[in-house]
Amino acid sequence: MSIEARIHLALRGFTLDVKFESAGPVVGVFGPSGSGKTTLLHCVAGLIKPKDAAIAVNTRTVCRLPGGTWTPPERRKLAIVTQDPLLFPHLSTRGNLTYAPGAGDALESDSGWKIIDVLRLKPLLERNPANLSGGEKQRVALGRALLSKPEMLLLDEPTSSLDAELAREVLALLLEVKRELKVPMLFVTHKAGELMALADDCVVLDAGKLVAQGPPVNVLAKPRAIGVANLVGVDNLLRLKVLRHDEAGGVTILDLGGSELAAPLTDAEPGKTISVGIYADEVMLCLEKPAGLSARNALPCRVVQVDELGHEVLVKVRTGSTELLSRITPAAAAELELHEDKPAVAVIKTSACHLLG
Amino acid sequence: MLTEAEIEIVLLSLQVAAWAVTISLVPGVLLGWLLARWESPLRAVLQGAVMLPLVLPPVVTGYLLLWLFGVSGPLGGAWESITGGRIAYTTGACVIAAAVVGFPLMVEGIRLSVIGVDPRLEMVSRSLGRKKLSTFLRVTLPLSLPGVLAGAVLSFARALGEFGATIVLAGNVEGETRTIPVAVYTLLNQPGAEAGVWRLVAISVAISMGALLAASWLARRQRRRAGEH
Repeated sequence: MSIEARIHLALRGFTLDVKFESAGPVVGVFGPSGSGKTTLLHCVAGLIKPKDAAIAVNTRTVCRLPGGTWTPPERRKLAIVTQDPLLFPHLSTRGNLTYAPGAGDALESDSGWKIIDVLRLKPLLERNPANLSGGEKQRVALGRALLSKPEMLLLDEPTSSLDAELAREVLALLLEVKRELKVPMLFVTHKAGELMALADDCVVLDAGKLVAQGPPVNVLAKPRAIGVANLVGVDNLLRLKVLRHDEAGGVTILDLGGSELAAPLTDAEPGKTISVGIYADEVMLCLEKPAGLSARNALPCRVVQVDELGHEVLVKVRTGSTELLSRITPAAAAELELHEDKPAVAVIKTSACHLLG
Repeated sequence: MLTEAEIEIVLLSLQVAAWAVTISLVPGVLLGWLLARWESPLRAVLQGAVMLPLVLPPVVTGYLLLWLFGVSGPLGGAWESITGGRIAYTTGACVIAAAVVGFPLMVEGIRLSVIGVDPRLEMVSRSLGRKKLSTFLRVTLPLSLPGVLAGAVLSFARALGEFGATIVLAGNVEGETRTIPVAVYTLLNQPGAEAGVWRLVAISVAISMGALLAASWLARRQRRRAGEH
């Protein structure tokens, strides 16, 4: 399975401008709300007709505009499952499942029963959709989409309207669908955990632009946009002024208001303010400045606050006029005897400072 | 009790109204759907044109229809050259007048009920492989059915009461175009016919009231149905 997409779409006050290709088989589309994830999905589904786009699924061109082909949604074989299950209220559960052309026969086939089996739909078949719970409705919606024999399943935040427990249950089902039924998916989400669990490859959108692509573990470890960093839960999001570049040393020096941070080299002009994200796990604390250190940042600081949270300790320190969070173990906190106002040194590798534009 | 002539009048009226609703149903559904889902600046113009008979003086509507369907009119003339018959001053003319005047009520009822159907259901249907028309027939129409029926009942009631356009286009021919309102008008001009007038008035009120109750019951059902998902 593969997908290739180049889309340029201008809507009122929003522009989607992306180009990517991916071998999947499960492609995650990740980004904050308003980043254009759903718009991208609707373009692939054919529910939006962009003026300028080329989209191919499994090398089958479904859209090449302007001038070329445009396949209407019903002939794309791409079934969509949205946040709300959107079951047809005038049809029974069985009527919903057999809605797609040929789905009635599919339901009676071996592969159809496998879908029913994986999604545990058998006990729901004769029930009225109005009486199903939220999770059950979403299972029926998934079954309805799968029984249409799609070449790819388009999932638009399928767990977002469910509470945490049901969301986990639906995610587990999607994993089983991926493993047992081997259906490729294009999967829109703003939940980092779901992305890690389900996606093989991932495109990251921010404000209508593609900011990263790669395996989820890579794109989550190196967030490239502030909205994405927020979603992933980067603990330290800083707005810092560029002081100077050290091209030979491969670093850009940023102003912490009294001390300096060596971040990866950027092309931002000195004097400009840029966003930097640093995970609290990547901030080490020492009592004295270590000697012979490869990490470029050993920042003298003072402890502002120590929070013990079960098996981890979150320490807030101040360096210059900037506060940083560091996550350490209770054992380390005990050995360093950290308390308010104690002087310390925060050690951060340059590569742990993620430039967010 | 009603006299034989009065029964004939009531039956003719019911027949005319039923035919008027029957011939407006398919165009009414199409236009109601178009006005609900068509995204174009021309929609407002179309909406205005459809609503026109609701606000035009019925006599004016009748005059325009007479111009269209009269023996020398574009449609009436064509009809005569094909069939040799005429439209104006026949039961068919009554049906046309009643249909045109009741049409806005039907379209509006259908338009409102189509608007109440979640467009995302149509989106899902398309992505499951159903074409636009199939989606309309399988999802939109069934979900707006009570609203369609409510529109039909209202336009039926309006057709029953049609007078102004009817008298111009169809005249007052006993047994052919003399519907309840035309008959009431005729009786009013005859001395000593009050009893007959009252009987027709009572029938008229009863049928209209029944239609309004049926329409509001259907509209309630429509809201329940659309609100289920």
